Amino acid sequence: MKSLTIRNLSKTYFDVHAGTNVTAVRDLSLEVPAGEFVSIVGPSGCGKTTLLNMIAGFLPHTGGEILVGGRPVKGPGPDRGVVFQSFALFPWRTVLDNVAFGPKMRGVGRAEREKIAHEYLALVKLSEAAGRYPNELSGGMQQRVGVVRALANEPDVLLMDEPFASVDAQTRMTLQEELTRIWEQKRPTVIFITHDVAEAVFLGNRVVALSKGRVLEEIAVDLPRPRVWDDLIEDDQFKALSARVLQLVRSA
Amino acid sequence: MTTPLLKAWSHYLRLTTRWPSIGTIVPFIPLIVIWWVVTELQVFPRAFLPGPSEVVRSFGSLVYTGVLPDYLQDSIWRLVVGSFWGVALGIPLGVLVGLSQRAHKALWPLLLFFQAIGDIAWLPILVIWFGYGLTTMTVVIVYTVIFPVVLNTVLGVRSIPITMYRAALSLGASRTRMLWEVVLPGALPNIMTGLRNGLGYGWRALIATEIIVGTSGIGFLMFDARRAGSVVEILLGMIILGILWYIVDSWILAPIERATGLRWGLVTK
Repeated sequence: MKSLTIRNLSKTYFDVHAGTNVTAVRDLSLEVPAGEFVSIVGPSGCGKTTLLNMIAGFLPHTGGEILVGGRPVKGPGPDRGVVFQSFALFPWRTVLDNVAFGPKMRGVGRAEREKIAHEYLALVKLSEAAGRYPNELSGGMQQRVGVVRALANEPDVLLMDEPFASVDAQTRMTLQEELTRIWEQKRPTVIFITHDVAEAVFLGNRVVALSKGRVLEEIAVDLPRPRVWDDLIEDDQFKALSARVLQLVRSA
Repeated sequence: MTTPLLKAWSHYLRLTTRWPSIGTIVPFIPLIVIWWVVTELQVFPRAFLPGPSEVVRSFGSLVYTGVLPDYLQDSIWRLVVGSFWGVALGIPLGVLVGLSQRAHKALWPLLLFFQAIGDIAWLPILVIWFGYGLTTMTVVIVYTVIFPVVLNTVLGVRSIPITMYRAALSLGASRTRMLWEVVLPGALPNIMTGLRNGLGYGWRALIATEIIVGTSGIGFLMFDARRAGSVVEILLGMIILGILWYIVDSWILAPIERATGLRWGLVTK
């Protein structure tokens, strides 16, 4: 696990349809110590997905710098694991091979990487599904695979782009609880993008509200762990924090 | 009145699920019966439209003399050689054009131009260049197979969602690994479609070529029979073409599709 430092980051691109330059992210700075879980919230168009894509190296930034463990980001790499909203599992690989993909790219032998994959699948109770193909799984199961596929590669930073936005509400709560349990166990550095305020507060050590490509405010979430919905849903502190973040997002 | 029919139909459905080969044969039975009745009633002169039994007899004698096995082997071998080169050249070319914007700009107009010329249109010049041999036929088949393979491969490569590439890159895949791990499997369902079309066109082009320049093969058999006025052998040739294509499709292409695109959920039934 490593820290993530973002300094004076900006992203300007030329919008062909509008015929003008658009600034998606401007002068954004953020410090994420190793092992912290940071939720980033904001309305659509606030630049949160652009920010994540720049950290992942999918999009170049036009100003400032992004450092992972002190080293500048230049393009995508296995030091930053990504969990996609659309899952992005390889349909032509079994669940086991999907999870073993990262280790395979690192040159880990078959027996060893399958052992790793089995361990991670057990973590999300999907050992039974190892031999199946992604399209045979429900959305919730697919995203569990997506999460452990990224984790099995032991990235320095885990980037999650609205990962639970496309599953139903009940499954989402289960996935949130599983993710927080895994985080409590493994303590990865996580950047979690969402537009769901309750989700941001439930998962994060800190919630960063974005607006128009800038950090609007950072709010520390010192709720006790382990966190489960049964405890938090009626918890006053949780409710107060959520209300606060919601207010910020709505004012953004 | 309708219930016994429905019952029979549901029986038939169950039977064909258990033995799919029955489902292949049964639809032909009424066709053969009609054919038989028409010829028995002498609606047309026998020499114009021979019956099923004569075609079967002719099949027997052509197999016995060894003509049919030899011709069949020649035709299939030509198709195999031509298809092999068509696929071996078509897939890499399709991947290149699908991945590289520059290659696309440079090659796409050429591809469309040459696709339009059509396979048999090349025969006159090919015969002058290569004579009446395997080379001429191979070129025609390669030419026919390659376009559907290239065009569908390009389509397949371009239809791979960008998140697939991103996922592979952020899991540490190099550009070369990406080709094997993402590009080819992702494009495979389309490549199969291209192959299916290509082989279908290739098979037809082969028969046409054999009719025009052949000295052996199923196409030649049919054309030769016309010269001899033997409608039986023409009909036999046509039936063999249909059966062979059916075999290629159901024994080779369909199983590959079942094991890949369908299994992966990339193609819907």
